Amino acid sequence: MASSNPAVIQTCGLSKRYRKVTALSEATLTVPQGRISALIGPNGAGKTTLLRLLAGLARPTGGEVAVLGGAPRQDPAFLAEIGFVAQEIPLYRRLSAEDHIGVGAHLNPRWDAASVRQRLKGLNIPLDQTVGTLSGGQRAQVALSLTLAKRPRLLLLDEPVAALDPLARRQFLAHLAEAVAGGGLTVVLSSHLLADLERVCDHLILLAASRVQLCGDIDTVLAEHQVLVGPRKDTTAIEKAHTLVQATHTARQSTLLIRVGGPVVDPAWEAADVGLEELVLGYMGQHAGPAFSHLTSVGEDQ
Amino acid sequence: MTWLVWRQHRNQTYLAAAALAAFAVLVLITGRQMASQYHSALTSCAASHTCGNLANTLILGTPVLSLLVTLTVVVPCLLGVFWGGPLVAREFETGTSQFAWMQSITRSRWLAVKVGWALLAAAAWGGAVSALVTWWSSPVNALNHQNFQPGQFDIQGIVPVGYALFAVALGIAAGTLLRRTLPALAVTIGVFTFLRLVIGQDLRSHYLTAVTTPFSFLHAPPSPKGSYWLVSGGVVGPAGQVANSHAHGGPGVSFGGVPVPIDNMPSACRVLVFQSPLKFGSCLAAHGYRGFITYQPASRYWAFQGIETGIFVLLAAALIAVTAIAVTRRDA
Amino acid sequence: MISFRLDGRSVVPPYLQIVQQVRQALRMGVLDVGDKLPTVREVVAATAVNPNTVLKAYRDLERDGLVEPRAGHGTFVVGRPSGPPPGTHSRLARSLAQWVRGAREAGLDDESIESLLRITLQAAADEEETA
Repeated sequence: MASSNPAVIQTCGLSKRYRKVTALSEATLTVPQGRISALIGPNGAGKTTLLRLLAGLARPTGGEVAVLGGAPRQDPAFLAEIGFVAQEIPLYRRLSAEDHIGVGAHLNPRWDAASVRQRLKGLNIPLDQTVGTLSGGQRAQVALSLTLAKRPRLLLLDEPVAALDPLARRQFLAHLAEAVAGGGLTVVLSSHLLADLERVCDHLILLAASRVQLCGDIDTVLAEHQVLVGPRKDTTAIEKAHTLVQATHTARQSTLLIRVGGPVVDPAWEAADVGLEELVLGYMGQHAGPAFSHLTSVGEDQ
Repeated sequence: MTWLVWRQHRNQTYLAAAALAAFAVLVLITGRQMASQYHSALTSCAASHTCGNLANTLILGTPVLSLLVTLTVVVPCLLGVFWGGPLVAREFETGTSQFAWMQSITRSRWLAVKVGWALLAAAAWGGAVSALVTWWSSPVNALNHQNFQPGQFDIQGIVPVGYALFAVALGIAAGTLLRRTLPALAVTIGVFTFLRLVIGQDLRSHYLTAVTTPFSFLHAPPSPKGSYWLVSGGVVGPAGQVANSHAHGGPGVSFGGVPVPIDNMPSACRVLVFQSPLKFGSCLAAHGYRGFITYQPASRYWAFQGIETGIFVLLAAALIAVTAIAVTRRDA
Repeated sequence: MISFRLDGRSVVPPYLQIVQQVRQALRMGVLDVGDKLPTVREVVAATAVNPNTVLKAYRDLERDGLVEPRAGHGTFVVGRPSGPPPGTHSRLARSLAQWVRGAREAGLDDESIESLLRITLQAAADEEETA
């Protein structure tokens, strides 16, 4: 059922260059409707750039991007369908949450003020206090509630839980999941940590070195990969039939992360399912070089 | 959007309104005193037939008050610094522009409403201060005929409105391009002061061709009617205009307000300079030297006000256009 | 109404944890035919799990004939997992508890008890296969 959903986000060869730096390169990805997609990647991988391109806050320097069926554009009807919360959680520090509700009511065609008040009261966040005096977690909740009050069809969140303590993080994600359960909402949220998002997300976009390494439903992506453990030997036979993502060798043993291209026939290899964290680290290690080498070369000297 | 603009800026609006009200009270009270002082002086001088000399005997207002009124020349710059500079830059700094831009409102509309109200407020405050100053100065203008002079010209009439619009537009544009409030303020002060000086000192006197009137050194220089603006004066000798020697450091003397370069005068006359201005004048006239004054007649006052206001309004419009392009075309 | 406890560290995927907890509740008599399961929204708000995970679990339960969604009302229990009635379970649990006490007294630690249980289960399975 889910796979036949229309795509909310569709990009093809999407690129963004700032004067000398390539922030995003040839990104091709699809996010179907109703997904909560984890946009994962190390710092500087291009997560923020991708989100800003999707929100229409930046213009691509190459490729195509379609969000909700059209290019992101300066059009009130389009903007009404999109919610974006930047990493810094921009709010008017000297205005109260209630003031922000007023702002939203004046600037949006659809506006569910009651839901914001109810939600914030439920979290014991004062409505009449200036938001500058609230904690980071409370501000994130205010920003999320305000964004959801627009009743957007696509919600883009840049590192929304990075600054939150575990309880606030849990509340935030529960709030988010509840909104998606209401139907009609698709979410992309970025993080450099997967653990936070693993249970709430059902879709994954993995960015590393400004390129998309992986994109798809988490169940599908996991099913497409396997870990092979066996005595140390030449991997050319494996590489012929499968895509080798990452190979780790000790003196006697080889551990291979592969994207499965067919059945593994060589009985020397013991095949095992791969966990999400292992998979993500495998792809990041492949591209990130020294920063992740300590994660991929464990056991090298043993 | 207007609701948001008001909610964001209402405190500074109240503050500015309070400052304006305080200034208005001061100006209205002292202005009435000054007007009645002037009228009673007129009545008494008419009785004693000494009104021709009134400008030399009557001093209107106190020095402190005159200074305060003169200082209103900085009001447009203050508006540019406190209203223009932070308007967009502050939003960029705190990221609140991104909050606004993710509501169902286009960036161009967001900017249009913010800039529109800022310019309207600038015009209102600049105009109100100018109106008060103009009214307050009317007895002084009638008495001293100085309102065309640099300094007075800049704080009366409609030019302060043009300056205020320009200063606020400059602040907005600098803030948008630099994306930071403090540098925007510095640029606003610098560019505004520079342009005001350049236009006031070098450009203004050329808006319309000045009137030149020659005179003989046997008499005092002519005094055109009303609040004229004396742009320059000098000496024409038998061989044409005499260079102004004090422009390159030579000694000069003022003949009724007209500079006379001593070094370039006939040596026979030079010795008379310190003996008697009258003899010096006769000597110059005898040697074929004549003086001239170049001035803008009082009748052109409003034309000049209009031209100068127009220049600053056009500059403001250009800056707003640049701002609009930067906000809508550039990545957020 | 029951609430779900989802263990992020478990090797069992979250959707399966939900399925297992519903089955367990049915077996223990905590849930009975006609009872309503929490809505997807309620589960999600309490556990911060993806809504599709809950949907998938409920679909699994529906396919097994245990629950049935009624449009606009929620998901209701319509059947029970095959097996003995709830009473049997608690009776067996009591006798197992007694057995565990005996094993402890005999000096077995938890690891030995677990491996003994596993070996016994395996042996029983082999027996059934050959039978």
